[in-house]
Amino acid sequence: MSVATLARRLRVGELSPREAVQSYLDRIEALDPTLNAYITVRAEKALAEADALLAGAGQVRPPLWGVPIAVKDVIDVAGTPTTAASKILVGNVPSRDAAVVERLRAAGAVVLGKLNTHEFAYGALTTSAHFGPARNPWSLDRVCGGSSGGSGAAAAADLAAGTLGTDTAGSIRIPACFCGVTGLRPTTGRVSNRGVVPVAWSFDAVGPISRSAEDCALLLEAIAGHDPADPSTARVSVPRYAEALAPGLRGLRIGVVSELFERRVDARVARVVRDAVDELGALGAQVEPAELPLLSKLGTIQQAMQFVEATAAHLEWLRTRLPEYGDDVRARLLTGLFLPPTTYVLGQRARRLAYEEFRAVMERFDLLAAPTMPVLPPRIGEETVALNMETVPYRLTLIPFNSPWSCVGAPVASVPCGFLDGLPVGLALVGRRFAEATVLRAAHAFQMQTDWHERRPEPQ
Amino acid sequence: MSGRAPSIEQLRALAAQQGVTPTDEDLERVAAFLAVLLPDLEGLERLVPPDTVPAGLFLPVEEP
Repeated sequence: MSVATLARRLRVGELSPREAVQSYLDRIEALDPTLNAYITVRAEKALAEADALLAGAGQVRPPLWGVPIAVKDVIDVAGTPTTAASKILVGNVPSRDAAVVERLRAAGAVVLGKLNTHEFAYGALTTSAHFGPARNPWSLDRVCGGSSGGSGAAAAADLAAGTLGTDTAGSIRIPACFCGVTGLRPTTGRVSNRGVVPVAWSFDAVGPISRSAEDCALLLEAIAGHDPADPSTARVSVPRYAEALAPGLRGLRIGVVSELFERRVDARVARVVRDAVDELGALGAQVEPAELPLLSKLGTIQQAMQFVEATAAHLEWLRTRLPEYGDDVRARLLTGLFLPPTTYVLGQRARRLAYEEFRAVMERFDLLAAPTMPVLPPRIGEETVALNMETVPYRLTLIPFNSPWSCVGAPVASVPCGFLDGLPVGLALVGRRFAEATVLRAAHAFQMQTDWHERRPEPQ
Repeated sequence: MSGRAPSIEQLRALAAQQGVTPTDEDLERVAAFLAVLLPDLEGLERLVPPDTVPAGLFLPVEEP
């Protein structure tokens, strides 16, 4: 059931918070031994919190009252372990909720549990050596993507009404795409990162992965806003996102990022996403090609900064607990040790060029459109994918499609827009900084005319 | 910046200076990353005009 529908039913008393929580706990018990979307299920605590909501209920019930939400296991929930899917953090039990969890609770939500992730959110597979892989509900031998793979799987398999993930270089968008659900990476600085295990401060963003743009709007509205405890959050007004969904696409100018439909993309994926863009045009948007001359450099710009920031965040553990990291994450974290300080400043300088170019392009467009991912999800255990008759490293396929929008700090939604070989394909809609309302409005209009987001995998 | 990746011995020495002791296998993986990244960074260096000021840790805040 969607967040929107469930919230309505809870508000009018058609079911109680305990019944809502119990129904998800039953699904988790039945399906999660196979999917491995959860690292920790807060069964007793969630039921107690649901009962407390009912006992304390007043006349006015907040918008997510009683709605069971699960969060990626890099987001602190007081009294529940935060592992980041790493052996290093086993036994780490925070005493305080992350800012986004405080805000979810203030909106009335119940936290069901903590979701699987790529170790330390630093990878796009969600195949932790310590907690096992999260399995794609559409095909159990495939990855969910990552790093918020558990969030994607839980949203797709209806193991929570909605979820939160985090995104540094695609970690919300990739699992949303691979799992056939809707994800929104907000503008960097829109949502507080306090109480969230960092990957790279300049790019990290917490956001929703859920069934629809409407659900993402409800969740973003709950968690967005300035936080005095997080200096990266902006003092920018937070719109009522759910109320801003209605106007449709008429009058919106959408730039099609031509390069991302032509190069380094599975031709079949490009065709499916093109059809989706045509649908946006048919719904009243003005669709034109868009060129960003620096696009192919944006992945390198982000890596120049991200490698160094991530290594700085982990330096003490690299010194004292190096063998406890998984092989891939250890190699990535070590790489940052060997980049000279000038690399970081070079990244910052090039980022200014990239941002100025993006801003100039967005004077012509309200949104940009591109494939979220250029390939279908790889099989668990494989680090390569098929791309137009070639076998290529999976990691390198995702960078040109995801890093650019992180690099310029823009909001991006991934919206389900079709299937190939029984696996979901996603459309990326990129907005101006802090224009999540426009992104969600376009995604919602698309979902009012299509049913890709309503399709659900059969339990396997 | 040189686009050539350092040798395993050079990487080991640089890691040791920072109090980190990776295995040879770790350093071979790192060398594979650097072999792709360093030439790209060298290209980036040529692209950025000398008078370009860093973006700052967080990008500018603008109401949409």
